[in-house]
Amino acid sequence: MNNVFEKIVETIVDAKGIDAASVKPESTFKDLNVDSLDIAEMVMTLEDEFGITIELEEGIATVQDLVNLINERIAG
Amino acid sequence: MLKSRVCEAIGIRYPIFQGGMAWVSDAKLAAAVSNAGGLGIISAMNADENYVRDQIHLCRTLTDKPFGVNIMLMSPHVEAVSNLVIEEKVPVVTTGAGLPGKYMPAWIEAGIKVVPVVPSVAIARRVERGGAMAVIAEGTESGGHVGELTTMALVPQVVDAVSIPVLAAGGIADGRGMAAAFMLGAEGVQCGTRFLSANECGIHENYKQKVIAARDIDTQVTGRRLGHPVRALRNPFVNKFAEMERDPAVTDEQLAAFGTGAVRKAAVEGDVQGGSFLAGQIAALVKREQPAQEIVDEMMNECEAILIKAAERIVE
Repeated sequence: MNNVFEKIVETIVDAKGIDAASVKPESTFKDLNVDSLDIAEMVMTLEDEFGITIELEEGIATVQDLVNLINERIAG
Repeated sequence: MLKSRVCEAIGIRYPIFQGGMAWVSDAKLAAAVSNAGGLGIISAMNADENYVRDQIHLCRTLTDKPFGVNIMLMSPHVEAVSNLVIEEKVPVVTTGAGLPGKYMPAWIEAGIKVVPVVPSVAIARRVERGGAMAVIAEGTESGGHVGELTTMALVPQVVDAVSIPVLAAGGIADGRGMAAAFMLGAEGVQCGTRFLSANECGIHENYKQKVIAARDIDTQVTGRRLGHPVRALRNPFVNKFAEMERDPAVTDEQLAAFGTGAVRKAAVEGDVQGGSFLAGQIAALVKREQPAQEIVDEMMNECEAILIKAAERIVE
């Protein structure tokens, strides 16, 4: 667990009003009822938070996918 | 003459886009709207690059005015069509059903003006950052694929969030709707349903008659369960789809399979039982078949008259 994961959880909890404990790395956005509009909104927040830009494409299915994508950008 | 950055940027007379509708928006309709002073748009739908190339070439024989191609980002041929619009130097590309970020740099590099359809503020901001020339803020009143926000709520919020021009779509079929969109801060509109009844629109006569006969309460949204809600005129197909959607015994795959091909059945075959007749909530305002030129002229005249008269409402 790292800072990126925690920030994503916080963003999802803020946006959807769900319990933080229900958000796991392996949770899919579909199961969390997070749709493409929510993802776009979240990513804007996360970009500001980490000072990065992310190109949103298909293939982000789980919370871990988004963690990986953000970590790559931070490292890059 | 209505002033709009959209007209200046694209080189069109009137800030009216004709929406890219699958199985509806072909070269003939697009050329008619472009000749009328608006921006005609060819729908690339799920078609391959050969179909789209033929349509682009045909459009060029029918008009010397700018026109656009609507790229459906869920299409299996999206890569090929994305390259094609660059080869063909299509003046304007609109996008739907997803985020166009991956394709935008190459289109912009090729001088194409990119105008994505956006359902929310965050997506509008993203495509602005990616170099979009304008955005089409489409409310849930529209036909076909729909988002949740209404045009009335979405347009001013998008206008506040971006500095590029915003076109309003969803629920606009005449000059009143267009004037209202400008009041909300839009600098243009996109209409789909209104152009279904254009003489130059090649859809089956049954489709046109259904739109002309439609009442305010006649559209329904189905497909929420699949994540791609679609608005269409109620008929046996829509009723059956809604019933299957509510039935937990029906799998998502079965539901999707049931919907496959239904738009073509409506537009090409006029199948009133089994077709999906996509139309917006504004269908009831579409009252007769008429040339695209007349539609555009009526909208513009009515819109300008309303905007001019608006000041008279202030009495003190």
